[in-house]
Amino acid sequence: MIKEEPLLRLKLMYGDYIVFLVIVLVAALLAAAIYQNNADEKIAIISQNNIVLERIELNKVSEPYSINYYGEYPGTIQVDNGKIRFLSAECPDQVCVNTGWIDKPGQIAVCLPAGVIIKIEGVQTDVDIIVK
Amino acid sequence: MKKLTLNSILISLALVLSFVERFIPLNLLVPIPGLKLGLANIVTMFALFYLDIPSAITITILRCVLASLIFGGMSSLIYSLSGAFFALVVMIMLKLGYEKAFSLVGISMGGAAAHNSGQIVAASLMMKNMAVFAYLPVLLITGLVTGIFTAIIAMNLFFVFEKNKRVKY
Repeated sequence: MIKEEPLLRLKLMYGDYIVFLVIVLVAALLAAAIYQNNADEKIAIISQNNIVLERIELNKVSEPYSINYYGEYPGTIQVDNGKIRFLSAECPDQVCVNTGWIDKPGQIAVCLPAGVIIKIEGVQTDVDIIVK
Repeated sequence: MKKLTLNSILISLALVLSFVERFIPLNLLVPIPGLKLGLANIVTMFALFYLDIPSAITITILRCVLASLIFGGMSSLIYSLSGAFFALVVMIMLKLGYEKAFSLVGISMGGAAAHNSGQIVAASLMMKNMAVFAYLPVLLITGLVTGIFTAIIAMNLFFVFEKNKRVKY
């Protein structure tokens, strides 16, 4: 008699669950530390090779416009009210363009080949009322 | 001599795998730089379990160098080397508990997480910008998925290998 063999074997041990939980926990803690959602103002910082090109207060953008960056792999960044994205880029992998719009504090869009990072920072105004 | 041949074959196999996975468009699903399946890690795990630690290190480093020379670039070499280094260290440590506490799944998940952390550390040092750490939580979670995926392949590969143990090395 031929014994039926399973198509795929998967054997787990208790340590596997520990590794899984530790990684999920680290990811969650990091995410909580990085993404702050309770910000009042969103500032997009565009930097290339650690040199800041632009600081944009995203909430104050009324008309969409674009910003060009240059270098080995040039490209165009589009700014709109509350959001920003890589519109087009000449880099080989196009990961930056595929990222699409980013609009939350802590989010980033990166073009590694060009060394360009767009980061949204949240600015929290801790003041409740201003009494004059 | 036999070991040299076997290592060379494994390096070319790893190279082919890292070439093939470039055609799997994971980046359309989760657009993050550095996201990949990590199929070449199957070869590293094989070397780690059936050969020895020096072989595993040699195979991994040469695979990274050759892959970057052929279809990557200088920066991709630094990212993949630092990822590979972190992954190897973690996998060698987790291997101590193999079949006592961990199966290949745990070792592979740990390796993937270490690889991603290493890449992000290298990227933040290269770009002198901590902002790239924002990708790490996402990469850690996708690493779990890809780590389990490659572990299942490796587990079944090892099983077939044990069953037909005709090759001696």
